[in-house]
Amino acid sequence: MGDIRQSLLPRDVLSAAKELLYHLDIYICNMVQSGRQPPQVDSKTLDLIEEFILHTPKDRNAPVRRMSALQELQLLEIMCSCFQEQSRDTVRQLMFSALFNLQGNQADESRMALLSKLVSMAVAVGRVPILECAATWLQRTHRVYCVRLAQVLVDDYCSMVPGSGPTLHNIHSASPRFCCQFITAVTTLYDLTSDELTPPMELLQMIVSWIQDDPRLVLITFLNSPLSGSQPISSLDVTPLGGLIRWCIKAPLAYRRDKKQTNNGSSDGEPDAARLFSALHLSVLQVFMLLPNILNEKGLFGRLALLQMESVAALASDLSRLLDQADKHTHAATSDTHAASQLALDRLAQALQVAMASGALLCSREDLRAICSRLPHNNLLQLVLSGPVMYYNNIHTPPLTYSPHAAHSPIPTLPPHAPHTPLAAHPAPHAQYPAQPFMTGMPFPFRPGH
Amino acid sequence: MSAQKDCEFLVKRARELVSDDPCAAKAWLITARTLYPTDFNIQYEMYIIERNAERTASAGRLLYDMFINFPDQPIVWREISVITAALRSDSQDKHAQFLRALFETLPGRVQCEMLLKATEQCFNTLEKAEMLLLLLKRFPESVVQHGVNLGETLLEAEVSENVESPVNCFRKLFVCDVLPLVINNMDMRLPASLMQKYILKAAEFYIGYVTRGPSSDAQLQASQDGATLKSPGVSRGSQRFVIDGLSEKSSVVAEPWERLLDIVTVVGARCEWQGDKGQRSYIDMLQRVKELCRYLPGLEGETRLRYCSQVVICAALVLFRSAFLYVSAVQPSLFQGVGAMTSGPWILVEDLSSVYSDVEGDRATLKHAHKKRKLADGREKTMSSDDEEGLGKGRGRHILVNKTEMPNWSETLESFRTARESWDLLHSHDGLEAEFKKICAAWKTESWLWFRIFLSDMIIHQGHYRKAVSSLHQMASVQQPQPAQQSPTGQASLEHHRALIQQASCHYALGEYRMACEKLLDVVSGLVPPNQELTKAPEDLSRIKSKTRKGNDLRLLPCTRGAVLPFCLQLMLACFKLRAFTDSRDDLSLGHVVVLLQHDWPQGEMLFLKAVDKICQQGSFQYENFFNYVTNIDMLEEFAYLRTPEGGRIQLELLPNQGMLIKNPSPALGVELNTLLLQGVQTMDRHHTVTRGITKGVKEDFRLAMERQVSRCGENLLSVLHRFCINEKIIIIQSLP
Repeated sequence: MGDIRQSLLPRDVLSAAKELLYHLDIYICNMVQSGRQPPQVDSKTLDLIEEFILHTPKDRNAPVRRMSALQELQLLEIMCSCFQEQSRDTVRQLMFSALFNLQGNQADESRMALLSKLVSMAVAVGRVPILECAATWLQRTHRVYCVRLAQVLVDDYCSMVPGSGPTLHNIHSASPRFCCQFITAVTTLYDLTSDELTPPMELLQMIVSWIQDDPRLVLITFLNSPLSGSQPISSLDVTPLGGLIRWCIKAPLAYRRDKKQTNNGSSDGEPDAARLFSALHLSVLQVFMLLPNILNEKGLFGRLALLQMESVAALASDLSRLLDQADKHTHAATSDTHAASQLALDRLAQALQVAMASGALLCSREDLRAICSRLPHNNLLQLVLSGPVMYYNNIHTPPLTYSPHAAHSPIPTLPPHAPHTPLAAHPAPHAQYPAQPFMTGMPFPFRPGH
Repeated sequence: MSAQKDCEFLVKRARELVSDDPCAAKAWLITARTLYPTDFNIQYEMYIIERNAERTASAGRLLYDMFINFPDQPIVWREISVITAALRSDSQDKHAQFLRALFETLPGRVQCEMLLKATEQCFNTLEKAEMLLLLLKRFPESVVQHGVNLGETLLEAEVSENVESPVNCFRKLFVCDVLPLVINNMDMRLPASLMQKYILKAAEFYIGYVTRGPSSDAQLQASQDGATLKSPGVSRGSQRFVIDGLSEKSSVVAEPWERLLDIVTVVGARCEWQGDKGQRSYIDMLQRVKELCRYLPGLEGETRLRYCSQVVICAALVLFRSAFLYVSAVQPSLFQGVGAMTSGPWILVEDLSSVYSDVEGDRATLKHAHKKRKLADGREKTMSSDDEEGLGKGRGRHILVNKTEMPNWSETLESFRTARESWDLLHSHDGLEAEFKKICAAWKTESWLWFRIFLSDMIIHQGHYRKAVSSLHQMASVQQPQPAQQSPTGQASLEHHRALIQQASCHYALGEYRMACEKLLDVVSGLVPPNQELTKAPEDLSRIKSKTRKGNDLRLLPCTRGAVLPFCLQLMLACFKLRAFTDSRDDLSLGHVVVLLQHDWPQGEMLFLKAVDKICQQGSFQYENFFNYVTNIDMLEEFAYLRTPEGGRIQLELLPNQGMLIKNPSPALGVELNTLLLQGVQTMDRHHTVTRGITKGVKEDFRLAMERQVSRCGENLLSVLHRFCINEKIIIIQSLP
């Protein structure tokens, strides 16, 4: 395909790009038809893309070809219809990869710029095939770049043009896969460490309403992924669960800080945020409760950790640091500070317990105790860390039975495993967190004294 | 340090949070449940949150879990009983609707189990039955197992709970809800005897329901008198009716006769009754059994019994329905819900529209009665009841009615005719009569006042007046207990006098004029003196009737003041007419006739002239009440003329109390008061009588009396005649044999 370069050179930028896209389409079609394995675009073609579509100078001598804004817009439109009209998923996907897979060279910057504009446009005009391709891209690309794409969308739809939120809101119905990846990306992006890294209210509302409408949305990528679980290193998590937990746990402290800073301004947003995070937290727990059935169906219960122990540990230490800071900043711990800290710890305890019970977090209570050792006192956390009292002498203890329509219930029944047993039943592959049933006889001095 | 304490702590935290932040509360409970999956309180708390927020799907889901996992928890059962109570109730409030919707979210199998278990835990028969009924309605396959048992339980409950009326909550449930399920379930084999028992239970209920009197309203008032005192009119006027133990809404039975017909149709089909499968109407039903009846004598054994019971059941239902329709037109105030719209009560009496006609005709029609009466005088004991031939001409008799006053006259008369036909059919064979009597005995029909009214009218129509009199006598004694309540309009007392008027009419028909007058004078004395306005309508009526009159017909007389007094006057006239115009002289009777002929003047002109002829023939006439009660100007003129030479110088003794009339012309006082006040004067002035017709003073008295009477012409004639009836009651009665 390299031989077409001579015919492209004399053309103007737009028609050259157009011509190249046309040839690329034919080239990939042929490649798929011939069944060459692996179906990979050769480097010459990639060079052509960088030269004529991304306009990266081939060498110092070559003149810098630039597109006007209008030409760029026209190119985006051409690309949009190109993807829209391509009926074969494989071809479309290969073309998208050829254009936008990062190559680790200087062209990547313009690649990212063009991709961001294309995806933003696809969101605006509802181009489902492009969103689907972008969802795959978000699964395979390094999280840093994923976050950048997400950032552009948030800027475009939540910050730049007021009232354009609803357009973005529609992506959950247009492409749930893209929506799921987008949530994962934004929860990775906004880690609540600073004001800039606090999600805009509009985005938060959007995410809460998405998950409330359909809790399974956050599991879409996971449900559609092959069992191999061969995630590229440093890509986004397979679900946004970890990021969402982090939001909910850190929110009471982060938003309190917000409030202090905008003391004279309107504090109307604050109770709203509290309510939204509370709802989000509940939704996340409910999503966890969907997991046992799904994991069992896939035969993965106790074998696949949707929540990584490392990220939980990081979260715990993050929280510990935040709580220390909060104490230092306020000197005397006010009741507000105390309540916020306790809320954060309550949510941590709940998330850990439910995640563990639902098979999303594979570890022993002992592991948890190690991770949480530096955290201040919280009754629920201590109860979770020590685990349930095993001699449960309630006379009403029939064996639990399960109904077939558990999946439709917001509060589903438990899996046919007691929360603390799955690790024993399924030996965990993670060597560093061996499956250890909770030792019943072990006394814990920190059990809540309620 | 115990699991119990952990659970309590978790639930407590959730409770603290639920009002402020329900999401947080739920997050706590989800966590709690993963810690202690077998703890009931945690799951119950989850359920309560969803239930209080009225989220049907999630609450239903949690209830299901609790029902499966904690089947022995009393709290679960309390909850289920609240829900089943909502299912049974007809309340439209939001919470009840939510509970019903919640139940609907459960899988059918669980609904079935829940209802069955809830039924088992229920100790109140009615509630238990209602619960089981929910089950039967939802799961028709359960009818086979529980249907008949439920029905029998309800029928037993009536007995064990000593319920008197067939219109009770158990029977209502049985008839309206259980029975249709049972008889329409083709998977069940039901013996014919059982179905016949059920159909009679149903019929008794529906008839009792339709013919329920306003008395239950009064009971309701009595039971909550405090409330009704404040607004006396409200509950009396309204059509409220509540069966004890049921709600107001479920006490309503729509189209009872139609429902009964439905049951008859289904049972008929299942019992393989003869004739058309679908019973289209009660009339069709009667026609069919009438045809069946013709085959009865030729049948034997089992077949005959089956035919018999079909005929008796069908004919009895037609009888009671038609009789009800008739009585509800004739005596609407007996029934709740019928009264307000239709016109007032009607009385079946002898038609007297021919009373002003010549005596000869009457003499002819009543000759038989007259002769019979003479016979009866000799051996009254043995003739105390009528013989079979009757006095009237049986079924051929017409019933006259003012069609404008009774708009539904044709339906009413048709109902009467149909009822009589059914009755006759039921008494056409001994076997049928015996079966019918069993039904009557079981239902205690002899205590049904409304049916007694129909029977009395039917007996009158048959011409069995002697029987009718005793039937009416019984009825009057049943009705008697409330003479205290005399309404200002006199309407209530009029209704009471209904039986008396009919008795008078019967005695008249029997030729027992004295008894007739006694009864009707009792009625008149209970009447409030009428206003002039009331007299118009009946006059028109009788004119219409005089054209269509034929033989001794019957007529439905409106039971109103405006109609009753004129009828009484006519009946008295009829009683005296024959006597007055016999060959022997009876001035008193003739005088009464003259007084009574004033009513409806000039209808009685012909008879009056006949009376004048008779006086002329006699040459003299003595009637001392003349000036008290005769105010008709035509009559006064005629009598004044009789005294003149041209008139034949008839000697008229009309002034026993002439002294009073002349010396104390005090028109302010009523005549009867003058009479009373001037008793002494009357005796002092006896000499006038001694020298009657000779002295000039007497002539002067007569002239003055005449002049005075002329001035009284404008007086309310009905008041005058009413006074006549009251003041002269004893004389009137004594003047009849």
